[in-house]
Amino acid sequence: MPAESGSVLLVGVGGQGVVLSSAVAADAARRSGFDVKQSEVHGMSQRGGVVSSHLRYGPLVHSPLIGAGEADAVVALEWNEGVRAIPALRPGGTLIVSLDRIPPPSAFVDRHGGAVAYPAVAPDTLRRTVPDVRAADATSVAAAAGNARAMNSVLLGILSPLLPFPAEAWDGAIAANVPRAALEANRAAFAAGRALRFPAAPAPGTGRPRRRAPAEPPSVGSVDIVDAWCKGEDCAICVRACPEYVLGFEPDARPVRAVRPDACTACMLCEILCPDFAITVRRAAVPAGPSLVAAETT
Amino acid sequence: MTAKALAAATGIDYREHLRLPMMPHILCPGCGHGIVLKALLRAIRSLDLDWDRLAFVAGIGCSSRLVGYIDGCTLHTTHGRALTFATGLKLARPDLTVVVITGDGDGLAIGGNHLIHAARRDVDLACLLLNNETYGMTGGQVAPTTVPGSVSTTTPRGATEPPFDACALVTAAGASFVARGATSLPLELDTLIAAAIAHRGFSFVEIESDCPEYFGRYNRLGRAPEMLQQQRRRFDEVDETLAAKRFVGAPPHAGVPRLRTGVLHERKT
Ligand code: SF4
Ligand code: SF4
Ligand code: SF4
Repeated sequence: MPAESGSVLLVGVGGQGVVLSSAVAADAARRSGFDVKQSEVHGMSQRGGVVSSHLRYGPLVHSPLIGAGEADAVVALEWNEGVRAIPALRPGGTLIVSLDRIPPPSAFVDRHGGAVAYPAVAPDTLRRTVPDVRAADATSVAAAAGNARAMNSVLLGILSPLLPFPAEAWDGAIAANVPRAALEANRAAFAAGRALRFPAAPAPGTGRPRRRAPAEPPSVGSVDIVDAWCKGEDCAICVRACPEYVLGFEPDARPVRAVRPDACTACMLCEILCPDFAITVRRAAVPAGPSLVAAETT
Repeated sequence: MTAKALAAATGIDYREHLRLPMMPHILCPGCGHGIVLKALLRAIRSLDLDWDRLAFVAGIGCSSRLVGYIDGCTLHTTHGRALTFATGLKLARPDLTVVVITGDGDGLAIGGNHLIHAARRDVDLACLLLNNETYGMTGGQVAPTTVPGSVSTTTPRGATEPPFDACALVTAAGASFVARGATSLPLELDTLIAAAIAHRGFSFVEIESDCPEYFGRYNRLGRAPEMLQQQRRRFDEVDETLAAKRFVGAPPHAGVPRLRTGVLHERKT
């Protein structure tokens, strides 16, 4: 993220707190001495519709609008909205996304079968498109910090180290914009989000993660793969189920590999779902700070 | 997912209970049956059963093939007759805990008669019926569980007959424990299988499993990950909520029937 100016796109679903989050970030920019402009689309917010907010800061900002491929970061309070906003990211931009999923009313094409049209994104596709994805189960992190509804502050917390705003500016902005009754919960959620650690983005072109900086805490889990038992790309259950995109295939398709080993949260999903007994998850020492909670596989 | 199920899922070494020289198993890539076998091993672990007093009986089919990989007392029998062998075994050795693994073709078509009579007699067996809506091992023919409209080798223009609701069938026949689980809800599966094994009387668990190789391919349902996802949609909580709010009318669904998972019927004996 450039130090002197930047563009952040916040997206989500009505009622999640996109507009408030955007106001907090804008206020933090202002308190840090930047010019800032912000614009939002919230016409459908009362109907569970899409809400998005553009935010640009710098020495002098003329327009709040972020064009396609211009956002330094996308903060998505809902999984699918995050996926949908990927075209807004500049190459090398950061996607901060909550694992929360809210199927839109239009996805209930089949009322008996439930949400049938909520698009499924192959996580490995996403990983290839956006190297720096910081996905967190924000609602669980917020719940652990005191109030699940403060999940938007968790995501702001994840965003905060990327922006050149001092901690006091963030805190002042939260205090000034969040209703008093929810203030402490949001402060705690923000701190919890800020404390989350994500693996370094893979170096461009390699598709493999960079070596971890020594200062980072050790990853929570690791996977052992029995190569001879894995049935490879025709199965791919674990690759698609892993919420952290840890697993993938080399070009020769078999067996599965840990392509982002540092991201494993030891959620066990891959082990439980592998029909071939080919994966064993080992839990390492849990680092300080809230751990990411496993997502469901829907 | 219950805390107990998660605890059983953490730290289990499945390899202790597998016939390692037989691995990898013959099931196709992504076949749901392997997920069921894992759940079964976890369920047994959570019950802390003595492996020497545990017997697994199966008939013929991809699902029945599972017993070949369990490193324990197993009986691989003739097509559709797993329950009769199991009944005999239980009569001869009432001290054994007997688990039957069967499929929809094996258990509901060829062995349908044995199923209803085992349920009627309420024999103390735990029967797991892995339903993948097709005959996988013989090449994807129509099964008594195939949903109308589905393509199989013997119904190239789509099945036309109504399918069995296996759970309703065995409930009506007299089973004292009836549940439905799914490979896409793997930890709930542990809980259901453990409850079925612990139950005294005929306990039946229908398990929605996937056959990506035939059923998935013929019906363009994608491979295993897509099929697992599809399964979830058939019993999404969203659906329950909608139904509870009466947004949904009463008429039965024309295509894929909705499924209820969990314990559907229980009678203490
Ligand atoms: S344990 Fe969870 S995070 Fe780790 S590889 Fe498996 S699915 Fe991914
Ligand atoms: S789920 Fe198991 S068999 Fe399938 S790709 Fe992953 S490791 Fe291989
Ligand atoms: S044919 Fe179908 S049911 Fe049989 S092993 Fe293959 S995928 Fe599984």
